Formats: sequence, structure tokens, C-alpha cells
Amino acid sequence: MTDPLILALPSKGRQKEQTEAWLADCGLPVRAVGGERGYAAKLDGLADIEVRLISAGEIAGALFAGEVHLGATGEDLLHELAHDLSDRVLLMQALGFGHADLVVAAPKSWIDVETMADVDEVAHLFLARTGRRLRVATKYLTQTRAFFARHGVTDYRIVESGGATEGAPAAGAAELITDITTTGATLSANGLKVLSDGLILSSQFQLAASLTADWNDVRRDAAGRLLRILEARARARRTATLTWPQSGDEAARAAVSELIAAGAKARPFGVLVENGAIFAATAALAEAGVGPVTVENPTYVFEPASEAMEGLARRLDRRN
Amino acid sequence: MRIEPAVPAEILAAVRAPFAEMGASAIDPPIAQPLGLILDLSGEAMRERLILVQADGGGEAALRPDFTIPAARLHIESGRTGGRYFYEGKAFRAAPKGREAYEEFLQIGIEAFETGAAPEADAEIAALAWHAAAAGGRTDLTMELGDVGLFAAFVDTLKLADPLAARIKRSFSSPRRLWAMLAKAEEPVGSDAPRPAGDRLSSLLAGLPETEATAVLQDLWALAGIEPAGGRSAAEIVHRLAERSAVARAPQLTREQASLITRFLAISDAPTAALEAVARLAAPGGPKLAAALKGWERRLHVMIDEGAPAAAMRLSTAFGRDFGYYDGMLFEVRSAALGDHRPVAAGGRYDSLFSRLGASLARGAVGCMVRPGRAWREGAQ
Repeated sequence: MTDPLILALPSKGRQKEQTEAWLADCGLPVRAVGGERGYAAKLDGLADIEVRLISAGEIAGALFAGEVHLGATGEDLLHELAHDLSDRVLLMQALGFGHADLVVAAPKSWIDVETMADVDEVAHLFLARTGRRLRVATKYLTQTRAFFARHGVTDYRIVESGGATEGAPAAGAAELITDITTTGATLSANGLKVLSDGLILSSQFQLAASLTADWNDVRRDAAGRLLRILEARARARRTATLTWPQSGDEAARAAVSELIAAGAKARPFGVLVENGAIFAATAALAEAGVGPVTVENPTYVFEPASEAMEGLARRLDRRN
Repeated sequence: MRIEPAVPAEILAAVRAPFAEMGASAIDPPIAQPLGLILDLSGEAMRERLILVQADGGGEAALRPDFTIPAARLHIESGRTGGRYFYEGKAFRAAPKGREAYEEFLQIGIEAFETGAAPEADAEIAALAWHAAAAGGRTDLTMELGDVGLFAAFVDTLKLADPLAARIKRSFSSPRRLWAMLAKAEEPVGSDAPRPAGDRLSSLLAGLPETEATAVLQDLWALAGIEPAGGRSAAEIVHRLAERSAVARAPQLTREQASLITRFLAISDAPTAALEAVARLAAPGGPKLAAALKGWERRLHVMIDEGAPAAAMRLSTAFGRDFGYYDGMLFEVRSAALGDHRPVAAGGRYDSLFSRLGASLARGAVGCMVRPGRAWREGAQ
């Protein structure tokens, strides 16, 4: 294979397990090449894609630099690389795992501080009193700076944190922090509270495409095949097929006509609807005297065109 | 790193010449300066303009973005009470995102650390900056003037309740916060958004004498098992609650007062006309404002005496509101060809810098710098 499409996936921990579980669910189990400890892999049935196993942080950097074509990584890691991602990386699909919030947290003892506006004023007072700026400990410099600027807070400075950021205020190394949290329990245990308007980013894992990588037709075809499968599986998980007896077909079609007008797809003696519309449809069918109605989740729902691939192609063509 | 092309020797000599008459001693401060100190003094917004260096195991340093902090540090180390310092050397700033700019460039300047009649010293330095900037041959120069202290003096004439006046003065450097306060004056009373949870506690504490409230807050922390963190004492937190509640109870900013502030900040005109506009807008009987206006009369008089052309000057009351450490008069010499964001020369007064650097001696401080590469008419930037 001379021009493989490179897909980067997390190489360790829970992120690796969840990513591989997601791909397996899509019918694309990841098979390590060269033994269990290898850092290369293949997806079943897609021989022209080379899977590279690296850390989630490195995946973000590699997408940014154009060293890989596609990758699964945290949104927070991508946004940390540049204030504006849009000309380098395209987010393709939220994967529904790896949830984490990047938040601003202040000491619980500061009962007068609830919002970023309070931080602004306290920072100003702190500077006037001590001649020093309020220190914000973080690993997320880019996003913190952008968020504080958006809230008009200027009298502060960032202290780059290497390890346990949440301990910085208690240790006297900073007054505030910004950090990733899932439940807030660690922050709370360290005497910190999240500000009411302190949510910087609600992040999860994303399938993302690099806009700076070398994309030729061979690689675009390979990406298209992969994306169509992922998309078909994602669509299948959102939808259900309702099937009714042939004898009630006419009455049934009339009963669900509104749903079809709203985008549900007619099937022979049935209809494909969004999960949220299942019970509205079954109720309408019952009222029309149609039954029994069975409801099943499809394994895949393939459409002739791939929205994700078309979106990517548009961005890549605009680049040239 | 984009390096500014060398400026021809005769241009450099011409820009340098006006400095020779200032009686300043030449200094050559270290190129690498402690990062933490620069960020503390200039703020986080400065970070993206800094070029950082770090030796193995050493603390983070920044290549000097200008000479003011390095000169002040040298002065403190010298133990002298007053002094005038001249410098000529490279300064370093990363180009702002999306803009082309030289990242290593030459600066010539002076820092005068001395007590004395501030308006005269201000004027002397501003006139010097003008002459040095003009020595490069540009004929499209203008001078933008501002005064960080003028706003507070103007707010005093509004005779507001103390906590409200204090909040408004503090907001000068944060346009967003100030506009929010001004916009509130437009709203009918009682349209405040409901306060967040925990506010009952805040109002309770605000109702007690501050010493008692401080003790109550400390008890509360102990009860709730909260370790106080983050460098703010119970007294400080209680004081802010009391101030906030006093602001809420005191008469609010009226529409007229808000409109006066808005009109004040919109003043931008030839200096004499601008000062007249300020005087017209203010109610009579503000001793601080009267003194500030008198100071400006003196300042302008000396500047013009020293050969800075009045016709090229503009005084804007809002100019410099978010400029790091300046706390009095400040100015920029701009070239129409280069645009407003590439000043040829800049400077001002920053009396509070020494106390912020931890020096016990309070001294006056005023200075300016010129970029010969920009003053040079044939220079690109």
C-alpha cells in the first residue's frame, strides 16, 4: 500500500477501550498488527486504512500538523492547540464518550465570588492591594486565555500547571484554577467550587479530520468508505423500523403521513422513524386500527450519499 | 523570528541626538527578564507577545519586550534615590496573530525616576519623544495624548456615594465592566436579576459590623470544613460584601450621571478644546479635576515651549485605559503611513511601578521610547 489513509486512535486506557468498542459496534474491530503491543493496527474489511495507536494528546497534535488524516481524540485537546481550529481540523462526529468539562473554579471560602464578573472585580482589587495579579493555575492556557478575554478579565496571570492543578490554591501556588472535571468531586474535595458561568468547554471525544494533511483521491475514497459505515451505524442507532401487516397498509400510511412529511422514510409495509417518534407513530397506528406493529432497530442505515464525506470534501476543495 | 533591518547610521544618530541633552546615564540591562515579574506587571494579555527562553532547570524568562521594567529593576538594585537612564538596544515581541511585524527591533529611550513637578517632567519627556520620532524624516506624525488619572478626577465631580464612585473608577481599565454599570443606570429600579444561591448569607454578613461579620465568616468556614485558600482573608471578603451591599442600597447612578460619564469618555480633540470640553461637562467645585486641568495647561505650555507642535496633538480621555502600568499622562507618536497600531514613539508616567516592584521608596517615574526603524522614513514598519 503506497498511499494509506492514516487513522489515529488512542493507544491506552479507557479512551482506547471506548474507541475500540465504538468501532467494533460499527462492525470494524481493530486488529493489532505485529502482536498485542504493536502501535499499528488494521480495521477488518478496510485494508487501505492504516491505524496508528498513539496517545490522545499526540493525536490532536498530529491532526493539527497534518501527520494523520483522521483521528479520534478529545475536543478539549484540539481546542488547546489553537484559538481557532477551523482552518486546520474539522470535527466530524461526536462519539458520545470521553465527556469532560473544562471549568473555572474558585476557593469555596470566597463566598462573594459566583461569576466571572466577580472574578474580574476581585482580580482588580487584588492587584490594587497586593501589586500582584490573581494567579490562575491551568494546563489549558489557550482556552483559559480566550475565555478570560471573552469575559473582559485582564488583571490575572496564568501559572502553568504540570500535575495536580486542583491542589494549587491550597498550596498557595495560585488563587483560581481551570481544569477538566467530570463530576466536580475532585474539585470539591480540594475546597473549590465551579463558577456559575465558568464552563469553558463541554468536551467529548470526536472523530476529526485534518485539513492540513495530504489528501489524494485514493485517500478520499478510503475515507469515504470508512465514514459511510460509521455514519450508517450512527444513523441506525438513532432510528427504528416499524412494520405492520400488509392488510392494514393503506390505513397505516394515512396514519403516519405527517411523520413521513416530516422526514420519516416509508418502507414496504412499514416506516423508518427517529427513535423519539416511535411512540407517537405506534399510537397513531393503533388509533387507525392497524396491528400488530413490530419495532426493530436496524443494524445500519446506508444513504446513497455520505454527509460527512461531502462536508470534508467541500472543506478540502476550498483549501486548494 | 523576523528581524528589523538595520537603520542607517545617520538616521540612528539623528534619532539619538535629542536624548543627549537629557543628562541621563547609559544602561545596558539584561536581555532575559523573569517571566513571572513581567506577567505580574503587564498582565496575561502580554504573554502572547513574549518570546520565552528557559535554560535546563532554570526559571522561565522572557526576552525583554521593552526597557521599562529592566531599567526600573537596575535602578532599585543601585540603591540610588533618583536617576535618569538612557538605553539603546534590541527589544523582542512576538508578532500578534495574523499580523506581520518585526519581532526583534531597536528601541532608544529614557526613564526618569525622580520626584519633582510632574507636569514639567511629563512635558519634557513627551517633547523629547516627539523630536526623536521626527528626526527620522517622517512628515505625517501626530501625537495622541491621554491621562489615566483624569477619569477618577472627573468621577469625583459627580458626587456619588463612595462605594459607587470607587467601583466606577476601578472600571476605567475594563470598558466592558464600565459599560455594564452605565447600562444599568438606564434600567428601571428593581429590574435586577435574582441573586444566586448563597446570597442570603452574603446579605446577612453585609448587615453586620465588619469585624463581627469577619468572625462569623471564619466560624462558618470552620463549621463547613472549608480551608480558606487563595490569598484573600475573611476581612477582605466581608469588606467586598459590605461594599457591594452599600452600593445596592445607596442612590444608584442616574441617567444624567451615566450620560456625563459616556460623554466624558467620548472627548477626543485638540488638547485645549478637549480640556475645555472636560471643564464644561464637569460640575464646578471639583478640586482634583481643577488641579488636573491646571496640570495639563502647564504640561501643554511646556511641550509647546520645547517645540512639540500643538497642531499635531490630540487629547483623548479614553486613551490608554487598558495599557498595563501607566497611571498618569501617556502618549503615542503615530505616523499616518504606519497606522495607529505601529506607534513610532510612546511613553508616559507610571509612578506606582516601584511600589509594585516591591521597592519601599515611592518615586516618580516617567519615560519614553522611540523605534528608529519606524521613525526612519524609508523603513518599512
